Amino acid sequence: MPIHEKNLVDKDRLLVKEEAKLDGLDVSGQWSTFIEQRILGDYSTDVLDAVASTPAGKTIVNCWQCGTCTAGCCMHTDFGLREFNPRYFIYLAQKGAEDELKKYAPVIWRCVTCNKCVERCPKGVRVEEVVHSIEGYMRSKGWMGDTPASRWDEAFVKNTLQTGVLDELALTRSYVSREKLAEFNNRFMLRMALKLVRTGRIRTGPLRHRVKGWEKVRDVAKEILEGGGEG
Amino acid sequence: MKAEAKVEVQEKIGGMAFYPGCSLDGLGKAYEKSAKAVIHDLGIQVENIKNYNCCGATEVKTVNYDLSVFLPARNLALAKNMGSGVVVAPCNGCVYSLSRANKAVTEDESTRQRINGYLGKAGVSSYDGSVEVKHLLEVIYQRAGPQAVRSHVKKPLSGLKVACYYGCLYTRPKVYTGAGLQEGKDNPEHPHYMDDLLEAAGATVVDFSAKTICCGGGHAVADREVSLGFSAAILNEATRAGADVVSTMCPLGHINIETNIPKIIEQYGDAIVRPVMYFTQLLGVAFGHSRKDVRLADNFSGADTAMHRLGF
Repeated sequence: MPIHEKNLVDKDRLLVKEEAKLDGLDVSGQWSTFIEQRILGDYSTDVLDAVASTPAGKTIVNCWQCGTCTAGCCMHTDFGLREFNPRYFIYLAQKGAEDELKKYAPVIWRCVTCNKCVERCPKGVRVEEVVHSIEGYMRSKGWMGDTPASRWDEAFVKNTLQTGVLDELALTRSYVSREKLAEFNNRFMLRMALKLVRTGRIRTGPLRHRVKGWEKVRDVAKEILEGGGEG
Repeated sequence: MKAEAKVEVQEKIGGMAFYPGCSLDGLGKAYEKSAKAVIHDLGIQVENIKNYNCCGATEVKTVNYDLSVFLPARNLALAKNMGSGVVVAPCNGCVYSLSRANKAVTEDESTRQRINGYLGKAGVSSYDGSVEVKHLLEVIYQRAGPQAVRSHVKKPLSGLKVACYYGCLYTRPKVYTGAGLQEGKDNPEHPHYMDDLLEAAGATVVDFSAKTICCGGGHAVADREVSLGFSAAILNEATRAGADVVSTMCPLGHINIETNIPKIIEQYGDAIVRPVMYFTQLLGVAFGHSRKDVRLADNFSGADTAMHRLGF
């Protein structure tokens, strides 16, 4: 029979028959696909407990699995990455299907925080923050390592805490060279820098915004980071 | 009682705190100059928050929750100390992060206590979530509106076809921004403030279905495939709708689309590329400022030559 959200089924459990005849009637095509049955019994309540206890993930308990978030999700629908399915991430976290959840480590970090899901959720689930909270849990368990996005975010925090104001050029330059992004080669960066110099946008000189007494604020920020903060 | 009265007076004379964020001091300088020129022309007074810091955008919150509330809360507390009841931010990311901090300290007592503890240590007075956060576009629309824009136009943008790109976090999510729930907020699914203002300035606003789609700016560098794909989709849709230029209102989205253009040309050809400019640059030109005044040459997408060619 036709299978809804076929991408959620493991490929080796999809049984596709090239040719299917029932009582001499050709029923191949969509009708010749079957799913091999499986039984999952290995649930853990840890995931839901951990996610629901974070301020960012607390709304996970409201989810009733309608899928509105996923229908509008720009990664799922516009970009077409079907494996990126926030409804399913929440389902697996609620159920505690750890082994299933682990399979999504390669994609779960790709949420771009467009917040369409949070906007549209009829149950007030802050889906985007819940998904990031699930991702954080997965990382804390060692199910996934750092990702391009988490390395960017860490670098962002480090850069911001230096002076209190983000220097987006320095951040991009250091990130690009560390990640060896071929696209932002020396030629690209030089062209960009030239343009910025010509239009007076390199952040130097006395006119640049500075946060007075930032050292004191930075100490508090470092204390928050070291204490773990909440979430 | 006294403090309340003060806020009211500030409101009446239009004293709003302006939060420029990090971009406007660097890459987005054209946005700052043009925005300041436009609101000055329209008689809207704002005062910069002194000593503001980075709001943390959408990046800090995946690293640490408390830090992601503390950074914007410090700015809001500073604004409150100035006696302002409203903070104006020109960037969608800042609007998101500031209003998220508001929600965090009002909805949860323990969060408020923790954050106020941090604020005290950082030498800032405590904060209760009472300062309203507004996007620059909302302020221009509410305080001046299409009528006032029309009366200030010296050089109508006649014949210019504009696609208005609002981006993600301008109205989204309503739980933080209040869009669709409060007075004075744009429609979250069909925002129209920029359309109305640019139409009042004489431009032809095209029917643009990619108004609120994501530009991938959140992962502008970290996930190139996504940010390139979305930027191309936005430009492609603007071209299909017949636009001459794309008008933006978020420095992150603006710079993300612009810096993707060389790669988009390489992958999809230059037929789908349109110059990108801030809505305040367009309004500035309509108000009689020169292309140099609104810093059109700052843009990476050839906006200056394009506007010159189109006769502005």
